[in-house]
Amino acid sequence: MAGMCYGVNIAETEATTPVEPSSEAARRRRMEIHQFRFVPTDVAVAPSLQENGRKRHKVEKVVESKRQKLETSVTISLSPALVVSDEKKLAEIEKESETEVVDLSESGPQSVNIEPEVAFDFPKFGMTSVCGRRRDMEDAVAIHPSFCKENSESSSSLHFFGVYDGHGCSHVAMKCKDRMHEIVKNEVEKGEAPWKETMIQSFSLMDKEVVDYSSGSSASGSDCRCELQTPQCDAVGSTAVVAVVTPEKIIVSNCGDSRAVLCRNGVAIPLSVDHKPDRPDELNRIQEAGGRVIYWDGARVLGVLAMSRAIGDNYLKPYVISEPEVTITERTDEDECLILASDGLWDVVSNETACGVARMCLQSRRPPSPTCSPGSDITVTGAGESSDQACLDASILLTKLALARRSSDNVSVVVVDLRKDL
Amino acid sequence: MTSLNNNVSDQEAQHSCYQEWMKLQQQDLLELIHALHDSSSDSSTSDLKLKQLIEKSIKHFQDYADTRRHLARSDVTAYLAPTWCTSLESSMLWISGCRPCSFIRLLYAISGKEFESHLPNYLQGKRCGNLSELSPAQFNSIDELQRRTIRLENRLSDKLASLQEDIADQPFAIIANEVAGNLGGICRETENALDTHAKCLMNVLEEADNLRMETLKELVMNILNPLQAVNFLVAGKKLHLCINAWGKTRDHLHGRNRETAERNTCPTLS
Repeated sequence: MAGMCYGVNIAETEATTPVEPSSEAARRRRMEIHQFRFVPTDVAVAPSLQENGRKRHKVEKVVESKRQKLETSVTISLSPALVVSDEKKLAEIEKESETEVVDLSESGPQSVNIEPEVAFDFPKFGMTSVCGRRRDMEDAVAIHPSFCKENSESSSSLHFFGVYDGHGCSHVAMKCKDRMHEIVKNEVEKGEAPWKETMIQSFSLMDKEVVDYSSGSSASGSDCRCELQTPQCDAVGSTAVVAVVTPEKIIVSNCGDSRAVLCRNGVAIPLSVDHKPDRPDELNRIQEAGGRVIYWDGARVLGVLAMSRAIGDNYLKPYVISEPEVTITERTDEDECLILASDGLWDVVSNETACGVARMCLQSRRPPSPTCSPGSDITVTGAGESSDQACLDASILLTKLALARRSSDNVSVVVVDLRKDL
Repeated sequence: MTSLNNNVSDQEAQHSCYQEWMKLQQQDLLELIHALHDSSSDSSTSDLKLKQLIEKSIKHFQDYADTRRHLARSDVTAYLAPTWCTSLESSMLWISGCRPCSFIRLLYAISGKEFESHLPNYLQGKRCGNLSELSPAQFNSIDELQRRTIRLENRLSDKLASLQEDIADQPFAIIANEVAGNLGGICRETENALDTHAKCLMNVLEEADNLRMETLKELVMNILNPLQAVNFLVAGKKLHLCINAWGKTRDHLHGRNRETAERNTCPTLS
């Protein structure tokens, strides 16, 4: 749908808004463009598998209205945001955008200088999230490419990836999915704070929202199963592993036992350390706060929760905290991919195996899963809609592996391709 | 009230309905296995053949459900607590049959097992198009089907729970509490109440059968390709027949149903 409008709108851009080099207006326009790009990719990716059909319908409407609003400012930069599901399409799109870039260069050099950079900035990712062997789905995944800018001077955009594994009920995980990226965006746009503080503040705000939500009357109207049991709502929480990917860095913030692993030159590097109650430093922290870790089907805080940090879980505060551990990793040319997953994967698949599988998927770059039957030979559907085929393939493969190894939990896997020159 | 003779024939009809079904399962299984064998040597004509077999399996399932429904209308409790199953089978019943979601668990188990052994080949780009190679689209559809089925399953479980609780409420509890003398005597009021209750149970049973049927159909006719579907049906029938056979062996060990265990010797697949 993004592709539909740019041809028309370029003409309008030329006619109504001549490009002023390096002016405030030009920059604002570029910002608007990104806002536009952000809508179709962002919303099309985020819905959970089951709701996809309905949500997609909504997306079209949103885009429609946004398009009217932004009509004069939409330019060629839309094309990188298009759904790219295989290499052939990608080649076509690139060809198209090249021709258009030539057109634009005649009307104003500024756009041309900036947009190609953004085009290469578009991340490749794939996501799979399934109920698996559990009867409740409590995992949630949020992916928001280009969710905000690093600062007002730079044009490079940041990408957001989050995996949330709820416990007690799914509503805290769902809240995180809906809100965390917005909170982080706000904090980033506030400006000066270093990443670590930004992320700690974001998690704290997220936690506060969840606690307010649970204690307030707003809990009714949700369709979670703890709807009418307000006191119980305190006993609901979620893990959160969030990766913000910038052109130079990967910022991973983690709370709980979901995990982010970087695959660098074939080596698996964990970018987060699970918060288990029996981790020596966590055990100390809990005991110093006056809490106890009781071994009952594994180490549990007060004998209840099998992780030492989480969003929500108000009743276990201050022993269970929502403060994330933040790692900041400089990206290198040897980086291959980033894997974010819930414990449904990590319980049965080691970091090394996961990296090995994901890496082979990305390297082979072969055509995707077989087109099995005439009825089901759509290569990409559902949440994979605007994702990269090799990454989607990798995420599915890892999910299948987890299920094959009898993972008894929900399984959610995000694979982000980090290779720079492809 | 039905006569004693009628009762005996009811029970016989119920038993033979199940025995026939198990026999049919076995025949269908052998046919499916043969077809799989044939299709591995000649892939050109097999898809149509496989599709026909899938339809046949589904039809047999539907016929069984229809016959059962017919018999259950006059005696639904017999179907909720069947005397013709082994205790192993009975212990796993959900509203007189398997849980619809177990189809998906079975699929995950079979495809997972196949997947792990084929993973090295898969990463080298080799394809066999079987259950280990569910496409992203299929994978999504299965997850969607699973979530929907769990939701519907839970709803039916809740309905059954309410009906079971109703027994401890008006009117049964009050009638029972006021009984003096002969405990076994059924008055008209009790008769009516039990009949009304049975009608509600019958509705739940029919809905459960529909859900089983719909889930299976969606899986083997819409989501899986014919080859995958036949593999899946083979696995399902084998599981069903095995549990029946294991149940007989176990019952025999505990001294139950010695005569029936001898009469129904366990089938072999050769």
